Amino acid sequence: MLHTKILDSAIEKIEIAKAEKFISSSKFGASIFFIGTVRDFNENKKVTGITYDSHDALVIKSFEEIYNEADKKLNIKEKAVYIEHIKGYVKLGEISIIIAVGCKHRDQAYVLSRYIIEEIKKRTPIWKKEHYENETTEWLKGKSLVNEKN
Amino acid sequence: MKIKLKLFGASRDFSNQDFIEFNIKKPISIKEFKNLILEFIEKNFKGNENYKKIVKGSAFCSEDDRIISDNYKITKDQRIGIIPPIGGG
Repeated sequence: MLHTKILDSAIEKIEIAKAEKFISSSKFGASIFFIGTVRDFNENKKVTGITYDSHDALVIKSFEEIYNEADKKLNIKEKAVYIEHIKGYVKLGEISIIIAVGCKHRDQAYVLSRYIIEEIKKRTPIWKKEHYENETTEWLKGKSLVNEKN
Repeated sequence: MKIKLKLFGASRDFSNQDFIEFNIKKPISIKEFKNLILEFIEKNFKGNENYKKIVKGSAFCSEDDRIISDNYKITKDQRIGIIPPIGGG
């Protein structure tokens, strides 16, 4: 069971309660919520917010691929996964991503949650532009997908 | 033939719009198209090294949202997405 969505920060916010409702089931004895928020400092610069950019279609595709891989690589068949990522401007302390997982056992839930966020970091086309206290901005250096697919 | 290069992430700094249009006379590969983008940077941004680095490190995607290789041939009017190094989450 999978839910994925890209949310435009100008229109809506990520709501933890919705994730909780989605993964809630008496079949699952373990739930993990990973919540990413905007942090105050990066490389000695005071951050005031982040603008997220996204290739929506490729992002959703990669979320689905990661979910499906969990079947094969991690052998976790029964699971509920809720992934939402924001795009647009997000203020300090606000949520940029939520990954909620429900599994039968706690070891599966921990492994699955970690797997999803690490794979998103490696291959999901989302970009961050940090906004600093002195009103400058900077796109963060990321991981190139060139060698992965060519 | 027109190629509409859709900009994402750091490549958005290449234009005030979210795309750049290229007029091409004959079919070209992504590898050749990448060189055209580098020429565009040379001409419009005095060869800005950071911008060139972004192009060199970028993957590209087709209209049907597939990551495409350097050998992919653009043979008709098409929208191509530039996918600079990623880092979300």
